[in-house]
Amino acid sequence: MTLYEGKVGNFYEISGVYVEENITRRLEALGLNAKTTVAILNRKKKGAMIIKVRGTRLAIGSHIAKSIEVKGEEV
Amino acid sequence: MGETIHVAFVGNPNCGKTTLFNAITGSKLKVANWPGVTVEKKEGQASYKDTPLTIVDTPGIYSLTCYTIEEQVTRNCVMDDEIDVIVNVVDASSLERNLYLSLQLLELGKPVILALNMMDVVRDRGMEIDLHRLPEMLGDIPVVPVSAAKREGLDILLHAVKHHHMESPRLAEGKLPFTYPEPIETKIEKLQVMLNAHYPGHHHLRWHAIKLLEWDEQVRKEHPMSIVNVADKNYEKDIIHAKYNYIETIVEEVVFYKEKKAASTDKADRLLTHPVFGVPVFLCIMALVFFLTFTVGDALKGVFEEGLSVFSGFAKQLLLGMNASDWLVSLIVDGIIAGVGGILTFLPNIFILFLALAVLEDSGYMARVAYVMDNIMGKAGLSGKAFLPMVLGFGCTVPAIMATRALETEKDRRRTMFITPFMSCSARLPVYVLFADMFFGKYAPLASFSMYVIGLLIAIFIALILNVKDKGKENDSLLIELPEYKRPNGKTIRIYVWNKLKDYLTKAGTTIFVASIFIWFLLNYGMNGMVSNPEESFGAIIGKVLVPVLKPAGLGMWQIVVALISGISAKEVVVSSFAVLFGISNANSPEGMAVILSHIRQGIPDFGMLNSYSLMLFCLLYTPCIATIATIRKESGSLKFTVKMLAFQLVLAYLVSVAFFQAGSLCAGLW
Repeated sequence: MTLYEGKVGNFYEISGVYVEENITRRLEALGLNAKTTVAILNRKKKGAMIIKVRGTRLAIGSHIAKSIEVKGEEV
Repeated sequence: MGETIHVAFVGNPNCGKTTLFNAITGSKLKVANWPGVTVEKKEGQASYKDTPLTIVDTPGIYSLTCYTIEEQVTRNCVMDDEIDVIVNVVDASSLERNLYLSLQLLELGKPVILALNMMDVVRDRGMEIDLHRLPEMLGDIPVVPVSAAKREGLDILLHAVKHHHMESPRLAEGKLPFTYPEPIETKIEKLQVMLNAHYPGHHHLRWHAIKLLEWDEQVRKEHPMSIVNVADKNYEKDIIHAKYNYIETIVEEVVFYKEKKAASTDKADRLLTHPVFGVPVFLCIMALVFFLTFTVGDALKGVFEEGLSVFSGFAKQLLLGMNASDWLVSLIVDGIIAGVGGILTFLPNIFILFLALAVLEDSGYMARVAYVMDNIMGKAGLSGKAFLPMVLGFGCTVPAIMATRALETEKDRRRTMFITPFMSCSARLPVYVLFADMFFGKYAPLASFSMYVIGLLIAIFIALILNVKDKGKENDSLLIELPEYKRPNGKTIRIYVWNKLKDYLTKAGTTIFVASIFIWFLLNYGMNGMVSNPEESFGAIIGKVLVPVLKPAGLGMWQIVVALISGISAKEVVVSSFAVLFGISNANSPEGMAVILSHIRQGIPDFGMLNSYSLMLFCLLYTPCIATIATIRKESGSLKFTVKMLAFQLVLAYLVSVAFFQAGSLCAGLW
C-alpha cells in the first residue's frame, strides 16, 4: 500500500520511495528511507497530509504521499 | 589584534542560526518560527579576546545537494576557501534529522564546531543528551551546548572557534567520524586518487569523491573526467542510507528519554490544520489581524494627530516670525509637513499590523498556512509553500518577493512573483483608512478589510488562469517542515516590529519627503514660474491629459491622477499627495477629511462611496511601488517579465475599477 492510503494515528514502515528523482533525493535527505517508521498525524480528505518521521513533522502533498510505499503497522 | 577568523553558521532551516548570529554580532536580522526566513547570506562582525571574527549567517539547508537558490547560496558559502571554520548549528531537540547535514559537513574536511542549540527545549521535553559520547561519535569535534534565545554558551562557542579554526584537516589524520560499507569506500578511494591525478592540490578530496558518486550535477560539471569505471551508477541512495544508519546508532547512544511531551503541538494542530476548519480558521485569524489594525490603530491615532497639528502650527508661526519668504513657508508647511507628517499619523495602524504579523510568524503557525492552503494553491499549479510569500505580502511586497527564493522551480517563482503584488501591503493601508473613514462611516473597517480579501481572491484567480493558459497540471508536491508551536519570543517580536517601523519612518524621511517636495513643486509652479492658481500648475497640465481616461472609473479629476502617478514612488504617497494638493496639514483628522471631501466635490460633485471604493480598488491593483518593481526586476532577472507584469497590473486595475464603478452606478440608478 502507499502512505496516501494510510489512516491518521497509525504508524507505517517505508518500503520504498518512487517519485521523481529530485523529490526522492529531498525526501531521503529528510530521512524518509526504507525501513523508517512514519506516523500520520493529520490529513485532508483529498490532498496533503502531515506526517512525523525521525522526530520531525512534515507536510507532504498527495503526489508525494502516493509515491511512498509502506507496510502497514497497525497501532 | 589577531588575524580575522571567518566563520560560517550552517544548519537546517529553523534551527536558530539567525538568533545565534544576532546574539553574537549584535545584529537585528529578522527571526521567525518557520523554515525559510533567511534567503540571503548576511555578514556580521564580532570579536573574542582580541581576535576579530567575521560571521556569515546562511539560509537553512537539509543537505549539501542543491535544489533552490537559497540552498545554492549556502553551499557556495560553505565551499568558499575564505571560510576558516564552520559552526554547524543544530536543533538539539531534533538531533536525528539535523545530524544528516552535520555528517556531510564533516566530510568536507574543514574544521567544524557543533553548536547544540535549543538545549532549553531539550530539557523542557525531558530529554537528555550525552555530551561526552556525542563528540566521540562525530570524530572528536568540539560540541558546545548553547541557547541562542537565552544567550547561554556563547563565550564557550567563540572560544572553540578561536581554538579550532587553525586545525589541520581532520580527514588527513584519518579522523573519519564513520565509514561507508566496503564497496563504497573502495570507490571513494579510487575517485580520490583520480581527482588528485587530474587536479593536483585539490581541496576537499573526500567530499568531492562522494559527490561524484552521488552524481552531483555541479561537481560533475566542474570535474569533467571519465568516472564511469568507478561510478557506474548513482550511489546517492546507498550513501544516504549509510549516513542515516550511523545517525540511528548515534541517537540510540546519546539521546535519552525521547519525546516525553510534544503533545501541545499535536493538540493545537488538531484545530489549526483541521481538514475542514483549517481554511476558515486561517481566514478568521487574518480577519482578526486586520480588525485589530483598523480599530486599535484608529483609537491610537488621535495622539499623533494632536501632536502633528500642534507641530504644524508651531512651525508656521516660527517661520513667519523669522520673516521667511512665502514660498519657503509654503514648501515646509504645505509640502513637507503635510506630506510627511500626514503619513506619520498612520504609524499606530502600521504598528499593530506588524505586531500581529510578528506574533503569527513566531508562533509556528506560518508553515501550517502552507499546508492549509495547499489544495487551493495546488489547483493554481502552485504548492502551498507559494502561499508563504503571499502572506508576507500583507506586510511588504519587497521581502515577499525575496521569499520566493525558497520555491523549487523557476516557473513557480515567476508565477508567485506575478501574483504577490496583489496582496495588499501595509503601504496601501493609509489609502484605505482615509477613504474608508471618509465615506463608509462605521462600516469603514469592513470596507478596508474587503480590499485584503479582494486582493487575495484576485491573486489566486490569476494564478488559476495562468495555470490553465500554460496547460499546467495540479500541483500536489508540497514538502515543508512544520515546526513546534512556541510562545512568541518578546525580543524577536521587538526586533521584527522595530525593523518594520524603522523602515516606515525611513521611507517617510526619504521617499515620501522627496515626493512631497516634488508634488509641491508640480502644484506651485507652471509654465510662467510660481503660480497662485493650481489650475495653471504643471500638475494640472499633466493630470488633465489623463482625466478623460479615468472618468469611467469615477476618478476623472486631475488631482486624483497626480496622486495616483505619485503613488508609484511609494503607495503612502497617494495620501500625502492629497494632503499637499489640498494644503491640509493633517489629512487623517476629521477636519482634514472634510477639506479633502470639499475639494474633491469641487471637481466631481457627486463623489461618494462608489468613487471612493473604485479609488481603493485601483490603489490595490495598480502598479506597485518603485522598490517592488526594482526587486522584481532583480529577482526575476528579466526586464521583459517585469514590464509585462506592470502593464498587466495597470490594465487590470483600470478594468476592475471601471467595471465596478459602471456596474455600481447602474445599480444605484435602478435602485
